[in-house]
Amino acid sequence: MASTDNGTLPGQKPRGRVVRRFTADLSATGEPALWALGGALAIGVILISGFLFLIAWNGFATFWPKPIAKVELLSGTTIAGEPTRAGEYRVGQDILALLSPSQKAGIEQNLGFANRVLYKTANFDLYGDDFRWVSEFEAAKVEYPKDLFLLERQQWGAFVGRIKGMTIRGEQLPFDYQLLQKEQSEARKRFAEIRKLERKDIGAVNYYLDQERLKIRKAILKHGEGSQEAQRIAKAAEAKIAQLQAQFTELQKRINDIRTQDRQYRVLLEEIGSRTLDTELSQIVRFYPANDISFFNKLGIYLSRWVEFLTTEPREANTQGGVLPAIFGTVGMTLMMVIFVAPFGVITALYLREYAKQGRLTSIVRISVNNLAGVPSIVYGVFGLGFFAYIVGGGIDGLFFPERLPNPTFGTGGILWASLTLALLTVPVVIVATEEALSAVPRSMREGSLACGASKWQTIYYVILPKAFPGIMTGLILAMARGAGEVAPLMLVGVVKLAPALPFDGFFPFIHLERSFMHLGFHIFDVGFQSRNSEAGKPMVFVTTLLLLGLIVAMQSGAIHIRNRLKRKYASDNF
Amino acid sequence: MDTRKSVVWSEIISRWTITLGGLLVIVAVLTIMVFLFWVAVPLIGGGKQVGSVSYALPSSEKTAWLYADEFQTIGIRVGDQGEVLNFHIPSGQVISRSNVPFEGRRLTASAGTLERDRVLLGFDDGSVQFMRLRVETRTTPGADFPQAASKIDGRDFQFEDSVYTRVLTGDYRTLRPLNEVGATEKISDLPIVAVDYRVGGTVERPTIAFATVDANAQVRVSQSRAQRNMMTGAEIVRTETTELPSMNLKPGVKVTSVLLSGSADRAIVATDDGVVYRYDLRDPSKPILAESKRILPEGVAITAMTFLGGEATLVVGGSDSTVAVFFWLQIEGSQTGDGFELVQSRLHDQSAVGAVLGLSEAQRDKSFVAIDDKGNVRVTHSTSDQVLFGFKRSGDPAKPVTALIFPRSDGVLLVSDTGQVNGWQYEDPHPEITLKVLFGKIWYEGYKQPEWIWQSTAATDLAEPKYSLVPLIFGTIKAAFYAMLFGAPIALLAAIYTSEFIHRSVRATVKPLMETMESLPTVILGFIAALVLAPLVEEWIGAVLLGFIAVPMGLMLGAFIWQTLPHQTVVRYDGMPKFLLISASIVLSVYVSIQLGPLFEIVLFYGDFKAWTTGIVGTGTPFMFLILLPLSYVAVSILFSRYAGHLYKAYVGDRERTVAGRLDMLRWLGLLLAAAMLSLLLASLLTLLGYDPRGGFIDSYQQRNALVVGFVMAFAVIPNIYTLAEDALSSVPGHLRAGSLACGATPWQTAMWIILPTAASGVFSALMMGMGRAVGETMIVVMAAGNTPVMEWNVFSGLRTLSANIAIELGEAVKDGTNYRVLFLAALTLFIMTFFINTIAELIRQRFRKRAFQL
Repeated sequence: MASTDNGTLPGQKPRGRVVRRFTADLSATGEPALWALGGALAIGVILISGFLFLIAWNGFATFWPKPIAKVELLSGTTIAGEPTRAGEYRVGQDILALLSPSQKAGIEQNLGFANRVLYKTANFDLYGDDFRWVSEFEAAKVEYPKDLFLLERQQWGAFVGRIKGMTIRGEQLPFDYQLLQKEQSEARKRFAEIRKLERKDIGAVNYYLDQERLKIRKAILKHGEGSQEAQRIAKAAEAKIAQLQAQFTELQKRINDIRTQDRQYRVLLEEIGSRTLDTELSQIVRFYPANDISFFNKLGIYLSRWVEFLTTEPREANTQGGVLPAIFGTVGMTLMMVIFVAPFGVITALYLREYAKQGRLTSIVRISVNNLAGVPSIVYGVFGLGFFAYIVGGGIDGLFFPERLPNPTFGTGGILWASLTLALLTVPVVIVATEEALSAVPRSMREGSLACGASKWQTIYYVILPKAFPGIMTGLILAMARGAGEVAPLMLVGVVKLAPALPFDGFFPFIHLERSFMHLGFHIFDVGFQSRNSEAGKPMVFVTTLLLLGLIVAMQSGAIHIRNRLKRKYASDNF
Repeated sequence: MDTRKSVVWSEIISRWTITLGGLLVIVAVLTIMVFLFWVAVPLIGGGKQVGSVSYALPSSEKTAWLYADEFQTIGIRVGDQGEVLNFHIPSGQVISRSNVPFEGRRLTASAGTLERDRVLLGFDDGSVQFMRLRVETRTTPGADFPQAASKIDGRDFQFEDSVYTRVLTGDYRTLRPLNEVGATEKISDLPIVAVDYRVGGTVERPTIAFATVDANAQVRVSQSRAQRNMMTGAEIVRTETTELPSMNLKPGVKVTSVLLSGSADRAIVATDDGVVYRYDLRDPSKPILAESKRILPEGVAITAMTFLGGEATLVVGGSDSTVAVFFWLQIEGSQTGDGFELVQSRLHDQSAVGAVLGLSEAQRDKSFVAIDDKGNVRVTHSTSDQVLFGFKRSGDPAKPVTALIFPRSDGVLLVSDTGQVNGWQYEDPHPEITLKVLFGKIWYEGYKQPEWIWQSTAATDLAEPKYSLVPLIFGTIKAAFYAMLFGAPIALLAAIYTSEFIHRSVRATVKPLMETMESLPTVILGFIAALVLAPLVEEWIGAVLLGFIAVPMGLMLGAFIWQTLPHQTVVRYDGMPKFLLISASIVLSVYVSIQLGPLFEIVLFYGDFKAWTTGIVGTGTPFMFLILLPLSYVAVSILFSRYAGHLYKAYVGDRERTVAGRLDMLRWLGLLLAAAMLSLLLASLLTLLGYDPRGGFIDSYQQRNALVVGFVMAFAVIPNIYTLAEDALSSVPGHLRAGSLACGATPWQTAMWIILPTAASGVFSALMMGMGRAVGETMIVVMAAGNTPVMEWNVFSGLRTLSANIAIELGEAVKDGTNYRVLFLAALTLFIMTFFINTIAELIRQRFRKRAFQL
């Protein structure tokens, strides 16, 4: 138990010494204890690396196209699906009783366990389930036929089966992969067009309709029912409403036209048990012959799935599609939180470092900071809901939006209250980091500035803050990392599973602070726990997890990077 | 040169802004605490009286029945001569009158349903008469308000037989009494002395049940089913009357009242000598007298008896002023005819000294009003056992009285026999909450004994919500306990190793990695725990249990093998290679556990651990053997070093390291064997003594359990404790370390006897901080704990913490409702728990810093 010979300086940690004569009293070296200590550290390291690996592996592998297996069961039925995972399980007595002696013997040899594979059979609309376990002893034959397709649909999730035929411009044609691909991308364009008309144009019309109706109510509340002023406003608004409704009908007609056209493009599908399904081509998001596809095509599908994930809205109760609104919500809420937390945190740190006399008051401030850091996040959520949303927001509603009551505007959870709540939660992080940064500014610089005749505020503003800026940034980034990962308080103050509208859009005043929003963390909770089938949502959860984790680890390492650079810089400045 | 004004001003402004901003932190903490408190405090604040009326009705009849609408506007009184008087409650003004034709019969008994709108009157000729009382509610638009309406008082107007009340929207709420007289039925030849009346079934097909007692103490139960003739549309009521077995009353004993339970499956008869008779009517063709129970001393009459809302709780009032509450519970080995027994669950406050004259129940909650012959009117909430209001009635206090609690539980109305009316209006938003309800054991309806129960949303409308915070606090502590059980040792040992034994280069990579763990969103941890880990642990429970033994064993084995290596090798591979070797030994142990897991389960737990935990198969010996193994090892090694230690040392003496290492390994193996034998012996002994851990900290297995939660929550607390503890250990001044090493101590001895004691307070503070984090953790628990508010230490059962409960329920709680406020109280409890833990930790840390600085 000795290592290289290097003399230790006082105050520095000794790293080794030479033991000239070794006695055999092993208890002095405490080797088993050392292994226990090292083992604890190793467990920590293994756990965290394993955890990161698990998420990365599952997250990255999710979108890779998998082959489709056709499994003939001994019972005579045939199923087709993507093998999702495999495992050993203990065979129950009721199942054992039904098996043949040879199968039983095999299981008994394996201590009562058997292998099984989970197939994603998809076709939820036909089967009522997305998955099926197949035990090893059940399967007669497994093969990978080239004519099996995987079709991702707008609704009902994926479809696994064959393509029997297609209808183009109302004309029935035999299945042609190239042509279908071309027509499918055309159909998707039509689908996007309908979507745009429905969401954007009709959305705008509805928005303005709502505004006009509110105008009438507001006028009545302000001038009294039946007053001349109110009647004048109501008349103007009603004219506008009529005009908007005409617009609405016009748009509706255009949508119907495209729909009619769209119905002429169809595809006939057949699942493995020969049941057929006739569906519109525009409902097919993506399709490919899973067992007859080259590596580069697979790569293309993989990338296109990532693009879809990052840039589109969710579908199928959030278990399919993208997470764009959630990304928007997370980033927007976190940025807004920084706007609130930065001044609060920096001012408190300045007070503690530059202004306050160290005494009982600062010690109370420090205990407060510490308690803010230690209070469970859910308590902030409770406070945010009760105080910000109900009391402050309710007050704002009564003063500024009486025409919308009893529907709350600010008087319920929203992105403003969420970011304020999280600002309160993360302020200790900023205070601690800023304090550290301020204390790292050398005394000589302060004294130099003051000696030149600068006032205290001038010194702080022109000398200390610029110097401490990277440290403050570190604090802010760490606060963002903390804030972006919090879910519990958000569940109470404004996060929803599916937000009807983003908090940012093209209508005045562009930023709608009162709106509820979606969040990546809550998305994970919602899809993993509230969806119809948590197994079907699992891949989505893993990818979202990977995204959220990537976001946070990126912020975290950015902060660590800045901190290290800062340390180096001052190491050279300070002597 | 003078300083520019702008500089002076900016100086002043900045100073004030920063000082105020700095103190804002204190304000924030105080605001949170005060706000939570402010929301929670009305829970136990009690109610307040908001109005009262007192007047005499212009009528000479005695009161038989009383009805009031939910707006406290119209009261309907049925008199003993058949007069039905509709009066305006706030003023006493008569709205209209009508008469029920009694046709010479004398009224002898009256009763009604819980909603008080259906009434049954019993007469001296043995017949009964049905009645229906109703107040029709409409909204009249402001424009249609009849101009001829006359003003009753500041709020209400009367027009014809309707009362108009102006509401906020400018419209008028219009109430009109609609009373119907129903059929007459001949039940007995003797006068009816007591009746009760229940209506069940659906609105289209009501089932009617009523009980009657005649002067001969013959109890009858009649059931009518209304059937509509499909062709003619006429309604035919068929009544079947069953005579119940005789009670064999002593001569002179009289029946005072009869009650029929909600589904008409029990009838309860009270007498004037303090005995209650309970009939079981579940089989209508064979009614039995299930039980007779003396509930008041001999000679004391039961003067009033009623069911609380839900009709499963009986309130009994006696002439000796007793007010007691009873349930009928299924009791094993009971001597009664149906296996149920009446059990007294509460005896309400006896400071009211008069004989009980009347009892009446509330429709929406478990409160009731009791009137005594001294004029006291007391509104009591039964479950929370608190007197909500006490009033004094006017007029002669000994006169019989009829009382009701308004349908919204916001007032009491009394009409005495002389027509004297007393009314009180009150507001009590949380009658069911007291400190005892929140933190003490409460005997709820249908439970065998007082218990701590959290069940904020009741299964049915009539069952009451149960708000004990104790199961939630217990769940919080249980989750934190298991998290610390896993997390604290790992974090502390790892911190010691990182600060004292590891090479600087290794440390530079390991520490940031552990810190990354801190920033992992807990929602991710929760998701992994619930959807990945929980099913895995369930499937591989044998391997997991084996792992708890195999990993330490593997490490020890590695250490003893390492000791046998020659000195040069040890020196050369110290550092990173050794750490990798340690990691490898862990991985290997885990692999071995997975491979041997099923075998382990077969050998110790009859092949199926989950079946074993239910207690059906086997004994508690195997598990106790595992638990006792480490303890036995410690005991055995202490014994060894005490009695054979010097011999062993002398024998090993000055031998070569490799030889000494081998000897040491032999010693270890020997001790291990001895420990295993001792452990087995002790475990068998415990089993022989009848101890079985199953049913205690081991019980039936649930997939989402404390083991999984503890394990994953450990993941959340490890980085916290690790970072703080490592900081504390590293900040021990280097000269202490150097001095110790210079005196010839090994690094192990230095760490153990110099560094750790010096940093102990800092390390303790780190543990406290970790504890604080574990107490408040939300998402992991929400997702992985199953959220059942049970109170058992079982490692394999779920739990519900304060934080998870808030996250789950607050979103649906109605603002300012009882659940909303109780959840705020839960948040306050959580805040206070963590406030104490954190403040203590911070104070200890500040002291440690000062001390470390002084060294």
